[in-house]
Amino acid sequence: MSLELSGLINAIHEGLTGAIEAQWLVSLIEYVLVGAGLLALYALIALFLIIFERKICAWFQCRLGPNRVGPWGIFQVFADMLKIMFKEIIPLKHNDKLLFYAGPCIVVIGSFLTFGGLQFAEGVHGVDLNIGVFYLLAVSSISIVGVMLAGWSSNNKYALIGAMRSGAQVISFELSACLSMMAVVILGGSMNLSTLMEKQEDLWFIFQAPVPMLIAMVIYLIAAHAETNRGPFDLPEAESELTAGYHVEYSGMTFGYFYVAEYCNLFINAAIGALVFLGGWQAFHIPGCDGFNAVMDMCPSYVWFFLKCLFFIFMSLWVRWSFPRLRIDQLLHLEWKIMLPFSLFNILLVAVWVIIF
Amino acid sequence: MEDINKKLAKAAPGKAVSEGTQYPTVELEPAELRGVAQALKDAGFDYLISLTGMDYGDAFGTIYHIASTDDPANVVVLKTKTTDRENPMLYSIMDIYESANLYEREVYDFFGIKFIGHNDLRRIFLRPDWNGFPFRKDDKSENSTPTRNITAEEMEEMPQITIGEDGKIKQSSKMLFGKNEYVVNFGPQHPATHGVLHLRVSLDGEIVKKIDPNFGYIHRGIEKMAESLTYPQVLPYTDRLDYLSGAINRHAFCLCVEKAAGIEVPMRAQIVRCIFDELTRVASHLLGWGCMAMDMGAITAFVYGMRDREKIMDIFEESAGGRLMPAYAVIGGLSQDIHPNFKNRVTEYIAYQRKMLKEHHILFTGNPIATGRMHKNGYLTKEKAIALGTGGPTGRASGWSCDVRKIEPYSAYKEIEFNEIIRNKDTKTGDTFDRYIIRLDEIEESLNIIEKLLVKLDDTKEGDFKAKVPAIIKLPAGDYFQRVENARGEFDVFISSDGNKNPYRVKFRSPCMTLISALDPICKDGKIADMIMIGASLDYVIPCADR
Amino acid sequence: MITYFKNVFSGLVNLCKGMYITMLQFCRPKVTEPYPENRKTRKQFERFRGELTMPHNDKNEHKCTGCGICAMNCPNQTITVTKNKVTTEDGKAKIELDQYLYDLGSCIFCGICTQVCPQNAIAWSTNFEHAVFTKSKLVKQLNKPGSKKEEKPAPVKAEPAEKKEAPKENNDKSE
Repeated sequence: MSLELSGLINAIHEGLTGAIEAQWLVSLIEYVLVGAGLLALYALIALFLIIFERKICAWFQCRLGPNRVGPWGIFQVFADMLKIMFKEIIPLKHNDKLLFYAGPCIVVIGSFLTFGGLQFAEGVHGVDLNIGVFYLLAVSSISIVGVMLAGWSSNNKYALIGAMRSGAQVISFELSACLSMMAVVILGGSMNLSTLMEKQEDLWFIFQAPVPMLIAMVIYLIAAHAETNRGPFDLPEAESELTAGYHVEYSGMTFGYFYVAEYCNLFINAAIGALVFLGGWQAFHIPGCDGFNAVMDMCPSYVWFFLKCLFFIFMSLWVRWSFPRLRIDQLLHLEWKIMLPFSLFNILLVAVWVIIF
Repeated sequence: MEDINKKLAKAAPGKAVSEGTQYPTVELEPAELRGVAQALKDAGFDYLISLTGMDYGDAFGTIYHIASTDDPANVVVLKTKTTDRENPMLYSIMDIYESANLYEREVYDFFGIKFIGHNDLRRIFLRPDWNGFPFRKDDKSENSTPTRNITAEEMEEMPQITIGEDGKIKQSSKMLFGKNEYVVNFGPQHPATHGVLHLRVSLDGEIVKKIDPNFGYIHRGIEKMAESLTYPQVLPYTDRLDYLSGAINRHAFCLCVEKAAGIEVPMRAQIVRCIFDELTRVASHLLGWGCMAMDMGAITAFVYGMRDREKIMDIFEESAGGRLMPAYAVIGGLSQDIHPNFKNRVTEYIAYQRKMLKEHHILFTGNPIATGRMHKNGYLTKEKAIALGTGGPTGRASGWSCDVRKIEPYSAYKEIEFNEIIRNKDTKTGDTFDRYIIRLDEIEESLNIIEKLLVKLDDTKEGDFKAKVPAIIKLPAGDYFQRVENARGEFDVFISSDGNKNPYRVKFRSPCMTLISALDPICKDGKIADMIMIGASLDYVIPCADR
Repeated sequence: MITYFKNVFSGLVNLCKGMYITMLQFCRPKVTEPYPENRKTRKQFERFRGELTMPHNDKNEHKCTGCGICAMNCPNQTITVTKNKVTTEDGKAKIELDQYLYDLGSCIFCGICTQVCPQNAIAWSTNFEHAVFTKSKLVKQLNKPGSKKEEKPAPVKAEPAEKKEAPKENNDKSE
C-alpha cells in the first residue's frame, strides 16, 4: 500500500541524498521543502475552514450559505481572499505603528509554529520533540500576545476593552486546557507525541480510560474553544458589544491575518484534541478483531486524522452557532469555579485509574 | 367621568373644567401649572402620557395628558400658554413627572420654549448649533442649515434656567461628564443600537456608570411634514415611525381621524385591522426576541425569528400588497377586502408558530447561559416605570397593568375577551428575564386573539370593508387624542385641527423615547454586556423615538 | 455541594437540548429562495405593489383623462401629469393627457394614487426588479407613445359624473 505519505517523504529524502553530496545542503533543502509544505497546508486549511464554517453555519440557520461563485459556492472563499489581499490597509494616526503591525504577525506566527509540532499522518510531522504536548500548548498561546498588542496599540476604546477581556479569558482557560492535557500525559506516560501515538495503536485513549478521558476531553474542548475566542466565548470580539473588539481598527490583510489565524487555531485545537484523545492518525482498532482492524487500516492515516479533526471542528461550530455569549463574570465563574475543580479532580481520577488498571 | 371631573376641580380650584372635549380639560396660567400638577399627582394621577408643544400663532403653549394608573382610563388634560413670543418661558414639571425630562427637551428643541427648573435643557433631536426652532409656524430655519462640526463639549453642555429667591431668572450650565471619565460612544453606527441611536457611556472598566442617549440621527420631522399634508397623505408616514409596528401606528392615526370626523367603520374592517395589528405585534416580538438573542451573541436565534416573521410578511403581502409597510388601513376602513386565501393562511400560520414557539423556548429560554445573564439583572420597578412612562411589555413585566387594549378598548378589541399578560404583579419589580419572556407570552396571547377574531370575521359581510368617506377629509376644529397599544408600548396620536384639510399640529407619542430614557436608570452599575442586553430587552426602535 | 453538581448537570442537559434544536434545523429543508434561478417559476402575490403602471388595451389606449388627482394626492410629488389642449374635429376644446411621469426613485408605494383614481387608469404591477444604472432612468413615462384615451361607451358616462365632482373640489381647494 503506497497511500501513506511516509513512503513519498522517504523517497524524496533518498533522492536528495543520492543527488547531492553535501549533507548540509540536503538538510537545508529539506527544511525549506517542509516549511513550504506546512505554509501551503496552513493556507489551504484556513481556506477550507472558512467555506466549511460558512456552509455549516448557514445550514444551522436554515440558509443555503454561499452559493454564487462556483458549484455550491466553493470558490467564494478564493474570491474573498483575493478581495482582502487587494484591500487598502488604512493607517492610523496617533498609535504605536510598530506594535500595531506586529500584533497580527505575532498572532499568525503563534498559530503557525504549532503546525511544526503536529503529526498529520504516520511519519508526517515537522519536529518530534520529546516535550511535544508541552510545546503545542506553549506555542499556541503566543497568539494572545498579538491580540493584546493589537488591542493596546490601536488607540481605540473598544479595542482596549476587547484586549483586556481577551487577556483575562485566555489566561484562565489555558489553565484548564493544560490540566486536561496533564491527564493524558499521566495516562500515556510521556509528553512525546510519537510515544503517545504508539500507545494508542490498539485502543484510543478515550477508550482506554473512558471516564477520566471523557471528562478531560470535554474540558479540553471547552477550554480550547474559549481560547480561540469563538462561539459563546467571543467576548474579546463581541460583535454586538464592542463591534469587533481588538481588531476593530484593522483593515485589509492585517485583518486577514487575524482571520486566517482564527481559523487555523480552530484546526489546531481540533488537531491537538484528535491527537491526544482520539488516537490522531491511528485507525480505529478493536483489540482482538484482526479482520476488522485490517479493514480499518485500509484507510490511510492522514484521512483518519483529518476526519477526526473535522469531527471536532463540527462540534465546535455546532456549539458556536447555538449559544449566546457569556458575560465576563460568568466566563470566569465557569473557569475558576466549575472547570478548574473538575480538571483537578480528574487528574486525581486518572492517576488512580492508571494505578488500578 | 364625574369622578375625574371632581378630582380635577379639586386639584385646580377655581378653574373651569371644559365640557364636551374628549377628556376633562383645564386651562391654566403658567404660574399655576406646577401646583396643579403636584396636586394631581397626589390625587393618583401619576402617569404623564404625553407633553405636546403648541404654536397657537399668537402664543406658545404646552398640553399635558396625565392619567391615573390605579383607575385606568382616567385621563385629564392640562393646558398652559405664554404670549411672549420673543423669549417664551414656562415652568418645568420634570421633578414631579420624571418623563417630562425628555418631553420638555423636545418642546424646547422644536418651539424654543424654555422650561424654568429643567436641569438639562439641551436640544434633543436637532444639532446644538441649529438656528431657530422649526415647529414655530413662522420659522425659516431650514434656510440656515449648519455645516460645521460640533464638538463633544457642545453636546455635553447642559444649560439650565433657574429662578432665584429674588424672582430673577438665572442662566447657567453644567457639564454632563467629568473631565476624567472614560466616555465611550456606542453608536450611531453600532450593531446593537437597533438603528442610529447614539449612546455616550461613561465606563469604569467594564462597569457602566452613566448613559446619555443622543437622539436625532433619523429625525425626519414627520410631525412637521404632517402639517402640510392632508390626512390620507399623513398615513404612509405613520408606518415609517416605528417600522416594526407600522400597521398599528397607521391604525391609531386612522382611528383618531375617524373619531374626529365621525366616520363609522364597518365591523369587518375593524376586525381585519385588529388581526393585522396582532400579526404585526407577533412579527415585532419575534424580531425583538431574535434581536435580543443576537445582541447576546446567539445569531442563529435571530435567523429563526426572521424566518417565522417571513410568514407574517407573506400574509401581509397577499392581502395588502405591502410587506413591512402593508399600508392596509385607510381612513374609513381598509384599502381593499381581504384575499380569499387570507383565513387559511392565517390559520396555518398560527399552528406553525405555536410549534415553533416551543422550539424557541427550548433553544433560548432554557439556555443556562441566557438565563444566567437575564435573571436578577436589570431591575425596573413599577414606580420607576410609571414615572418614566415606559409602558408596553416593559411596564407589564414590572407589574404595571398598562395595556391600552384593556384600558381604553378600541376597534374590535371591545368585542373579544383576552388576557393582559402581566408579570410580577405582587413584587412590582421586573428583571430582564421578565421583559424577555413576556414577549414570547404575548406572542402566544396574540395568536389566541387572532383565532377569536377569525371566528368573528365569519359573521361579517364580504365586501363591506370601507365606510363612505368624503373625498376631502376635514376635521372639525378641536383637539383629538387616540391611544393604542403598539408592540412596544403606548402609541398615541394627537391631532389639533383648525378645520382645514391639513392638520394644524400632529403629535405622535412615541413609546420608544420613554424606553430609551429608562436605559440609564436600569443599566447603572451593570456591565457593558448587560447594557446591550437590557437595551435589547427594552426593544426600542429609533425611528419611532426620533420621528 | 449537591446543588452545585445539580446546577452543572442541568446546565449541561439544557445546553444539549439547545444543540438538539439547532441540529433539527440543520436537517430540515432550507428556507432560502434561490432567487435568480427561480425567476421563471417564482410567483409573486398579485396584490404586491411593485411599480405603478398604466394598463393599455390592444389598441394602445389607456383610461387616463389627465385630471391629476393622483399627482395631487401623492405625499411626495412622485407623479407629474402634463396636459395638452386639443381641438377635436368637431371644434370642441378638449384636454388630453400629454405625459404621465412617474418617479420610481421617490415613490414610497403607499398606494394612494390608485385608490383615488376615478377612472381606474393606473394599477400596480408586481415587478420588483427596479435596479437601473442611472437615476434618470427611474423617471418613467407611463403612457405609451402614441397612445390615446380609451373612448368610453355612452351609457357609463352618467355614472362617473358623481365621482368627478369630488375631484373638482379638490382641485379648487388645493390652490
